[in-house]
Amino acid sequence: MKSFMSLYKKGYGLSLVSLLLLGIFLFPIYWMVVTSLRTSTEIFAYPPQFIPNHIDLTYFREVVFENEKVLPYLRNSFLVGAGTTLLTLLLASPAAYGLAHLPLRGKNLLLLISLSSLMFPAIMLATPMFVMFSQLGFTNNFLGLIIANTALSLPFAITVLRPFYRSIPTELSEAARVDGCTTWTAFWRIILPLSRPGLLTAGIFTFLFGWGDLLFAISLVNSDNLRPITAGLWNYMGGNVTKWNLVMALSTVAMLPPLILFLFAQRYVVAGLTAGSVKE
Amino acid sequence: MNESNSERGAKRSVTHHWSDYLFIAPAAIFLLLFMVFPLIFNVLMSFRDVQASTLLNFNAPWVGLANYNKVFENPTFWPTVRNTVVFTALSLLFQVGLGLALAVFYTRNFPGATYMRGLFLIAWTIPVVVSAAVFRWLLDAETGVINYVLQSLGLIKENIQWLADARYSLLATIIVNIWLGIPFNLVLLVAALQTVPKSLYEASSIDGASRFQTFRFVTLPLILPALLSVVMLGLIYTFKVFDVVYVTTQGGPLDASQVISTLAYKLTFSQFRFGEGAAMLNLLFLVLFVLSLLYLRSVNRESA
Repeated sequence: MKSFMSLYKKGYGLSLVSLLLLGIFLFPIYWMVVTSLRTSTEIFAYPPQFIPNHIDLTYFREVVFENEKVLPYLRNSFLVGAGTTLLTLLLASPAAYGLAHLPLRGKNLLLLISLSSLMFPAIMLATPMFVMFSQLGFTNNFLGLIIANTALSLPFAITVLRPFYRSIPTELSEAARVDGCTTWTAFWRIILPLSRPGLLTAGIFTFLFGWGDLLFAISLVNSDNLRPITAGLWNYMGGNVTKWNLVMALSTVAMLPPLILFLFAQRYVVAGLTAGSVKE
Repeated sequence: MNESNSERGAKRSVTHHWSDYLFIAPAAIFLLLFMVFPLIFNVLMSFRDVQASTLLNFNAPWVGLANYNKVFENPTFWPTVRNTVVFTALSLLFQVGLGLALAVFYTRNFPGATYMRGLFLIAWTIPVVVSAAVFRWLLDAETGVINYVLQSLGLIKENIQWLADARYSLLATIIVNIWLGIPFNLVLLVAALQTVPKSLYEASSIDGASRFQTFRFVTLPLILPALLSVVMLGLIYTFKVFDVVYVTTQGGPLDASQVISTLAYKLTFSQFRFGEGAAMLNLLFLVLFVLSLLYLRSVNRESA
């Protein structure tokens, strides 16, 4: 009894409550994974059995390995996510640096544009981009998806990166210039490496955003070999409405890469959320 | 300090000026091409009668404000606006409310607090299509867990047809959206709560204030700016939401859970009424733009 009280005093009582809250909140995730491991008769059992009797991996096998479209879907999502991240960081880093340090006019306008990630409905971009890409001859193309996603992620990335560049003292780049660097070399060689936490934050954020996109994936792409997994899951749901074990298996597969990335880089995601929303 | 540096920098880097603009140029050009231009395109498209045949050859006839009139006269439009307002209001109420309650809990110091709090963000990290798919399963009328729990608790007598009943489909989408939004509010509000100095809590308990009184009169006023900021951000973000409603109910049944974004999608991509779709989106954008300006004003006022 005495050790129980001392545990409680140390706060483990609250830890238990926290575990309970977390368990309730994340129950949908648990249910998704559990459903994908059960037979059809089991999933429709009523009342629902919360703990599975036995585990059946056939549905994962059917959805991932026997369906030859799924692995390409995953590859496509990776390409779109990585491509969006690369393009966004390439454009956002110099821009954020420029906004943070250099004496420039037009700052307020650019600040408003930074908010545009938030206030632009993605659909407003979908139709015009479809027309633009058609005219230029590259519809149904990864570059199109990457450009569309970058248009929405770029302003946010600039907003996230700018505080990082502001915190790097101007003396550094000035000293570099005294030593003979051009402004660009000073940026590329010295400032950029110092902003690595910011780049990681913005990069991870952008990747999650690009991976999770649905609208561009369904409106700018119409062939399976380019389709990302978000659109793939959406299509799959349409044709397999009651086969919940299969749908949940595919959902789990679609969820895993962002989840793994998140578990490894949790603090960057948190940093990005607070940095992008709280104005200094 | 920064002022004098950039002033000095301005004097010294007058010769660098044009290269400074080069830093911003790539991003600016990109956004001009792929954000400003589409916006203008949308505006122009809303003034023309654009059909599937004329979408790609720019020959659509000019019709002035006719598309906007059609939008306002569309019998689905005003119920959709009402849906969007209800969706946004209820979502925000519970997202911020529950997020705040959880945030207060998670600012307490106990083993694993920070890590567990971060795990809530899983809901925000995974693609919305995945979350909505799971909730469609949870909200299944006959075999879904949610109905089972509600029945077991005695809260309902018959299973609710969450997705098929026009009376409940909007509520279904709101439930999913609340789940999606809690982590975001949780993280931001914890950050806000952590700026409240602990000494104030000590002083308040010495003065004999109850936990609730402390919250009401000490904590709440201090985090009010941050709370306002979070609500405004949520407002802008939620008003334009698409994925969660589209995947959960597709706006159905019979437009019962339609929100502005999904209605615009339906007009544009299902019915090919491009001009009207563009008009509706321009109206939506106008609202979001005004909200964003309000947000900027409120943030500037707080830091002034």
